[in-house]
Formats: sequence, structure tokens, C-alpha cells
Amino acid sequence: MKIRRTTHPDALVSILKQALSPDRVRNDAAERSLFSNDASIFKGGASGPVCFPVSTAEVQAITRIALDHGRAIVPRGAGTGLSGGAIPLGEPIVVSTMKMNKILEVDLVHRIAWVEPGVVNLDLTKTLMPLGFHFAPDPSSQQSCTIGGNVANNSGGPHCLAYGVTSQHVVALDVVLPNGELVHLGGLDAEPEGYDLRGAYVGGEGTLGIATRIAVRLTPNPQAVQTLLLAFNSVEDAANTVSAVIASGIVPAAMEVMDQLITQAVENYVNAGYPTDAAAVLLAEVDGLSSGVAINAERIAAIGREHGAVSVRVASNDEERARLWKGRKTAFGAVAQIAPAYYLHDTVVPRSQLAGVLRRVYEIGAEYHLTIVNVFHAGDGNLHPLILFDPRENGVLERVHAAASDIVEVSLSVGGVLSGEHGIGIEKRDHMELMFSFDDLDHQRRLRSAFDPLCRSNPGKVLPSPHSCADIQSLSRIPEGVWG
Amino acid sequence: MTLNLDPDELASCVQCGLCLPHCPTFRVSGDESMSPRGRIALMRSVEDGAPITEEVKRSFETCVQCRGCETACPSGVKFGHLMEKTREALAKAHEITPSWQRFALGALDHPGLLSAGSKALAVAQRVKIVPKRLGVPRIPLRSPAMESSAGSVAGDVYLFTGCVMDVWQRDVHRDVQYVLERAGFGVIPTTNASCCGALHTHAGLGDRSRKMARHVIETLDGAIPILVDSAGCGAAMKEYGSLLGTDEAKAFGSRVFDVAEWLVANPGTLEAPGVLDLRVAVQDPCHLRHVQRVHLATRDLLRPFVRELVELDDEGLCCGAGGSYSALEPELAGQIRDRKVAAIDRANPDVVASANPGCSMHLQAAGVKSVHPLSLLAQALRG
Ligand SMILES: Cc1cc2nc3c(=O)[nH]c(=O)nc-3n(C[C@H](O)[C@H](O)[C@H](O)COP(=O)(O)OP(=O)(O)OC[C@H]3O[C@@H](n4cnc5c(N)ncnc54)[C@H](O)[C@@H]3O)c2cc1C
Ligand code: SF4
Ligand code: SF4
Repeated sequence: MKIRRTTHPDALVSILKQALSPDRVRNDAAERSLFSNDASIFKGGASGPVCFPVSTAEVQAITRIALDHGRAIVPRGAGTGLSGGAIPLGEPIVVSTMKMNKILEVDLVHRIAWVEPGVVNLDLTKTLMPLGFHFAPDPSSQQSCTIGGNVANNSGGPHCLAYGVTSQHVVALDVVLPNGELVHLGGLDAEPEGYDLRGAYVGGEGTLGIATRIAVRLTPNPQAVQTLLLAFNSVEDAANTVSAVIASGIVPAAMEVMDQLITQAVENYVNAGYPTDAAAVLLAEVDGLSSGVAINAERIAAIGREHGAVSVRVASNDEERARLWKGRKTAFGAVAQIAPAYYLHDTVVPRSQLAGVLRRVYEIGAEYHLTIVNVFHAGDGNLHPLILFDPRENGVLERVHAAASDIVEVSLSVGGVLSGEHGIGIEKRDHMELMFSFDDLDHQRRLRSAFDPLCRSNPGKVLPSPHSCADIQSLSRIPEGVWG
Repeated sequence: MTLNLDPDELASCVQCGLCLPHCPTFRVSGDESMSPRGRIALMRSVEDGAPITEEVKRSFETCVQCRGCETACPSGVKFGHLMEKTREALAKAHEITPSWQRFALGALDHPGLLSAGSKALAVAQRVKIVPKRLGVPRIPLRSPAMESSAGSVAGDVYLFTGCVMDVWQRDVHRDVQYVLERAGFGVIPTTNASCCGALHTHAGLGDRSRKMARHVIETLDGAIPILVDSAGCGAAMKEYGSLLGTDEAKAFGSRVFDVAEWLVANPGTLEAPGVLDLRVAVQDPCHLRHVQRVHLATRDLLRPFVRELVELDDEGLCCGAGGSYSALEPELAGQIRDRKVAAIDRANPDVVASANPGCSMHLQAAGVKSVHPLSLLAQALRG
């Protein structure tokens, strides 16, 4: 089978328009430019035609046309990704899931919901709330990001401390493979037969095909919730409190730390009563049965005081809670009040090392003359240092990237991992070799090849060359028999 | 061409996408080019030399200028200002706002023209040649002028009567005047201040709107508070400071209040014989919630006078009226309204209270029973 590489782009576009509809295939320069980057700081790639399918069949059609015309495909949700996962490299066809946004079925018996990939995370939870359920993974971007993006990045959120990240909440999926075939992964049974390919697919960052239907688990709403806000005179005290809480055996629903600069910016935006004079604040939440919640809240307050908390406030009603969380969830954006741009980092370190690593992070900032602020999912040691900068300053990006690399190295040197939840994408692709051996990476490549032997789906992401097949340009023949 | 945008304002967007669900056009289309983030990205590329293509214009023209993205943006992007400047540059270059629109907008600051046109419309309504779906309220053939009641001990206030509202919805003004007088204030209707210029600003006709703003400021000289019962006009007048950039305009802006905002801060002597037996859903006009940010006052004002207040669950998403937007972009405006109507249906109220006549008309055209909150209050006070 010979790939037609000579097709004129206009011909490709008109074939796509026939397969979808003229208004759902865009090829003008303005539209394509809007799909050239995501929410990360990476300079955009270059997108080919942008398609807005409305059904699985249309996704299959796009995939087949792409294959036939020698183009790669890049799935895209809301474009809130922070690791460059949705950035198109080499003018691929961009497949936006934004018009596949229906909640197809809510099945209270199996406690699952079937959704299309473009359903917005918070919309799903809002639909489920009155039924007594919610979708547990709650990334700070949940008002905008899609379930498809959550699945692809195996996203987490503050409440994943107790409930687990996306992978734990996806039971089955329909995936369109890069050859246009549709496969069903996972199943509604507790122990589906065969290999757990669902588990392999989640976190695939768009390199393993496009998810077009997803069965997510419904989590019952807790009977009672309490949210505490503890203020500290040092970031270390906050970090040590977090370790002590976990060591005491309590599993809070969430534990989030913000340092002073970011707390000030947040308070300025939400007016939630965050103490702006504290060096760090800890937002902790406990949920469950009313009696247990009250006891655990008191224990956390006591542990906090033992570790130097200067004040402890308990949110007295839902509105106050919501406001505190709104502050935490908009923290990244609020830093724009301090500097016009930021590079949000994402690494994980063992909880016991939190305080030490944080000290190093601030030192790295000082070494590169960059302001670094910290906000993090403290409960699972997931750091989110934000490196602030002004992109108009000459040469600043090199310093930012150098500081970021140092942070990665520090995290890995204490036994941490590369990414907590934002994925590898382009951002950390070339750091993979720090973390994995040649053989490890080779096995990952083989897994990828099993789904996408020709590297058609989101090429150039996740795996570093030579394990990646980024160089799609050199691919002009599909080996015989690959598609069976 | 250049859009003359402030590079700092443009740089403040970090592409996080948190505004996306709060943008009505993105909500109904899923198109990045119809989102705040996409529109800002296109402004940037135009500033970097990209050509003004049909697609680029479409992206800018489909913006309702509701500014829902502004309250949603944690980075404090001044989207409204960016879009106004963009439209002004494009209108100057005659890329947008064709001459028929300029002509139609011209009528708004010519009371004679407006009233002649409206009389014709009133007659046309009587002979039933105006389609209902346009949502134009039944225009009175004759409406006695409003009279001043200046000289109250509690103090006097201006009631800004505006252009279209004054001709089409004078009943709302009468209700507002009645409530204010019951609260003890002397009311001076601003019959000669004419149009606030909001629609002109939105259409990119900056020179004209600045001229109109100066006229309004001159006519309403002094220290008397200026109360406005149309959220769009109130928002525009509060922003005269940034429109004209003078201290005088800034000082003027600080004298402008939404009527509900004023009454909550200066309650006077409002007592009703009983509460209205109604379940009322509050619909926040965008320019009350996202620009003036005083939408909570509507609730505080109404609460004691109605049986039940309910919230819509759409977090203040635009209804699609958008000044002249519903006439210029009927299809998108209709889709946006469908979402609003669905939210209203979920709240299941007896009546919707909307502090912007444009929103009310747009909703009424879809069969929603929508009234001005001050009209409800007047009804309660009259007993
Ligand atoms: C302010 C802010 C806060 C954030 N907070 C968090 C947080 O707390 N936790 C967290 O984990 N992340 C967070 N993120 C990152 C981001 O929101 C998540 O990674 C999110 O899941 C991305 O979803 P999306 O719909 O925007 O996907 P996109 O950015 O559009 O795409 C992300 C990746 O998913 C792939 N993809 C999208 N849809 C599909 C599909 N249907 N099938 C296959 N692949 C697909 C894309 O190819 C890409 O590789 C945050 C981002 C921002 C801007
Ligand atoms: S306008 Fe604000 S919320 Fe929207 S993408 Fe830009 S920074 Fe984010
Ligand atoms: S002003 Fe309204 S329509 Fe325009 S981009 Fe912002 S939210 Fe969207």
C-alpha cells in the first residue's frame, strides 16, 4: 500500500469536507493558527486542516483519509494542556472533539456514565450532582478541560488524593485506532477479561488513537465536608504538617499548599479571606460521614498547631468553601498579576522530601534571577512551581528552561518522578531518559507501536528520539501486512 | 494594519482557557475562533502583521461583547477594552460596521428621527405587519412626557431615560420613578441627555460615542447622582472615564448608579402592603454582572417583596441580546438564547426579572415572561 503523499492540500480539504460537512472542516490561516498551541508556553507548531467531527464514524473517516494522504492526526480537547500534548507538529490534521460533547447515558445501576470525549469535566459533575454523584478527578482547569483530555493525560486534581486520578475513574472506552479501526477497551465488569488495555490507553496523550466514547465511574457525593485553612510562618511548616497528617493515618480528600506571593495574588482575585501575611497556607478538606469528618478536621487542626500553624479557620458554609476553592483553582491565572507569563512545572517528590526540595526550588529561582512561586498538591507530593517571567525580556526563556531542568533534576535525585499529572507531551519528552533506561523506553515504544505502528497519532510526543518516530516525513511506505 | 492595542494589555492573556465556558459564542459553537482566547490570539496575529481576512473579521464580529470572559479571567485581561479598540480600528478602516448600520445607529442620538421611526413602527404593529419574533414591545402610539419631581428633602436624583428605552419602554421608567419617589427621592428624568453611546462604542464608532459621552456629561453637570435602569447604558456611562480619559469623565462615572444598586445603598422608606406571590428568577444582564458587577443588588432589593427568589444555574452566561447583536447575528443570538431559556425552564419561575430592557425583549420574543425588577417592585408597592 502506497501512501499518496502528493495530494494537493486543497484536495485533502475537499475530501474531508465531503466526509464531514463543509462548515466543520477549516483550513484558513487564521483558524489553523489558533490550533497551533495549547495552554503551555511552548511555541506553537503548525496545524493542517482542523476538523470538528460529531460522531465516531466521522472520526474513523478522518483517520482513514489522513492515512491515505500521508498526514498524521492530533486529537485535541479544550487545549488547556500544559505539556504541549495538543501542539501539532508537521501540519497534521487536528481533530477537535469540541462538538462531541454529549453525555450519552447515566447508568445509576452500574454507577457509570457514557460520555463523548468533548464533554467538559465540570459540566459532567454538575449534571451528576443532583443525582447524588460526581466525577472525582477535578483538575484546576475543570471548568474548561474535557474528559477526553483528562483521559489522555491521566489528569489529577486536588481531590485525587483520596479518590485517585483519572485512570481509576475510567472503566471502558471506544478508541479509533490510527488505521481507522474501532476498538473497545475495558468493560463494565469488575474484572474484564484479557489484558487491561484500558489501563494502557489512559495516559497515552493522544499517541494511541482517539477516544470517542468513554465510560466514567460515578463517585457518590460525600455526606459531609469540612474545609480548613491553616496559615504558617514558613513553607516548611506547612509541608511538615502535610507529612504528619498523612502519617497519622488520616486520608483527607485534599491537601493543597500555596506560598505567600501566590496567596496574595489569589486573594486579590477572589476575596475569600486568605491570610496574605502568612508565608504559606494549607487548604485541607475532609469528607465522609458527618461524625468522622468532625473528628478528622479537629485532628488536622491539632497537628497543624503542633507544627507551627499560626491560625486555623474552618469554612462555615458552602459558599465560603466554594470561594476558598475558587481561589486555589484559579491560582495559576492569578499570578498574571505578578508577571505577564509563567511556566508551570509539575513534578512529584516523596512527601518526606517536600520541605527540602522546596528550599532548593527557591534557591534555583535565586540562582537564575527568576521569581518562583509554589502551589502544590501537597498530599501526594505533587509540586507545581511556577516560574514567572516577562517574555519580552531578551534571553529570559533560556533561563526559564534552565531553571526548569534543574527543578526536574532535583526532584528526580530525591526519588521523585517527572510528571504528576500534566503529562510528558513535548515538555518533558527529552527528560524521559533521565528517568527511564534505554530498555524501559524501548518497551514503551513497543506498546505505542502496538496501537499505532506507523506513528500517525500525535507524532513527536512523549517518547524521545530515537524511541520516537517523530520523523514521519521519511515514512513513505506502509510495510506490507501491517493492517492485516 | 494595526489595531493600536496596548501591548501590555495584549500580553496579559496567558492562554489558560479558563474563560472558554463563560463565553456564549464558544459555548454554542465549540469554535476556538469564537472564544475569548481565540479572539485575543487573532488580535495578536493582526498586530504581528497577519491580514484581515473574512475569517478574522467573523471572529471579531461574532463577539457579543458581553464581557463574561472578563469576570472569568483570573489574569485580569481587559477583554472589553481590547475588543472596543479592535472594532474601532476596523470600523475606521471600513472593514466592519457597514454604512446602513452607521445610519441606523445615527438615529439613536437624533430624538426626532427615533420618535418618527418609532411612530411608524407603532402604526405598523397596529396593522400587524411586524413579526412577533422580532421581540419589539408594543409601542404606545402616544405617551405623555415624564415629569420632574425635584425638590425632595431626601434628595434629588437624575433618572437617565436614554434613547430607544425612552420611546419604547417608558412604562419601565415610570415604574422606576414611582419606586424612587416612594423611597423619598425627587426624580428628574433626563429628557434632553439623549443617548449614552454604548451601541456606538460596541460598533467601533469611537469618535461618535466620545462625542455623545461629552454631550451627556455636559447636560448632566453638577453633583446630583445619576440613576440608570438599563444595565447596558449604566455600564457605558460608568466607563466614560476610560472612554474619554479625562478627570471630569472619571468623576462623572462615579456619580452613575444602577437603580437597584442605589436603592440597596439608600433604601429610604420602602414599605409594601404585602409580598408578591411569585417565584422570581433573576436573570443577570451581562453588563450588570460582568461590567458593573453589582448584580447582587437586584436580589437584595427584591427579596423582601416577593415570595421566592431563584437563581439560574448558568453562572451568568449571556442571553444573546447584546444590544444590537440579536438583530445583527440572529442565528447565534438564537442559539445562545436557547441555552438561557433551558436554564430558565430548569428554575421554573413564574416570572423572570431582568434589569436590561434589551435582554427582556430578547427573552420575551422566545415566549419568556420577563419584566424589569423595578416594575415588580412597583407592583409590590402599589399592592
Ligand atoms: C489553569 C490550569 C490548571 C490546570 N490544572 C490541572 C490540574 O490540577 N491537574 C491536571 O492534571 N492538569 C491540570 N491542567 C492541565 C490540563 O487542564 C489537563 O491536562 C487537561 O486534562 C487537558 O484537557 P484538555 O481537554 O484541555 O486537553 P488538550 O490540552 O486539548 O489535550 C491534551 C492531550 O490530550 C490529547 N487528547 C485530547 N482529547 C483526546 C481524545 N479524545 N482522545 C485521545 N487523546 C486526546 C491531546 O492530543 C493532548 O495530547 C491545568 C491547566 C491549566 C491551564
Ligand atoms: S483571557 Fe484570561 S482566562 Fe481567557 S485564556 Fe486569556 S488569561 Fe486565560
Ligand atoms: S465578550 Fe462575551 S462573546 Fe466576546 S469573547 Fe468575551 S465572553 Fe465571548
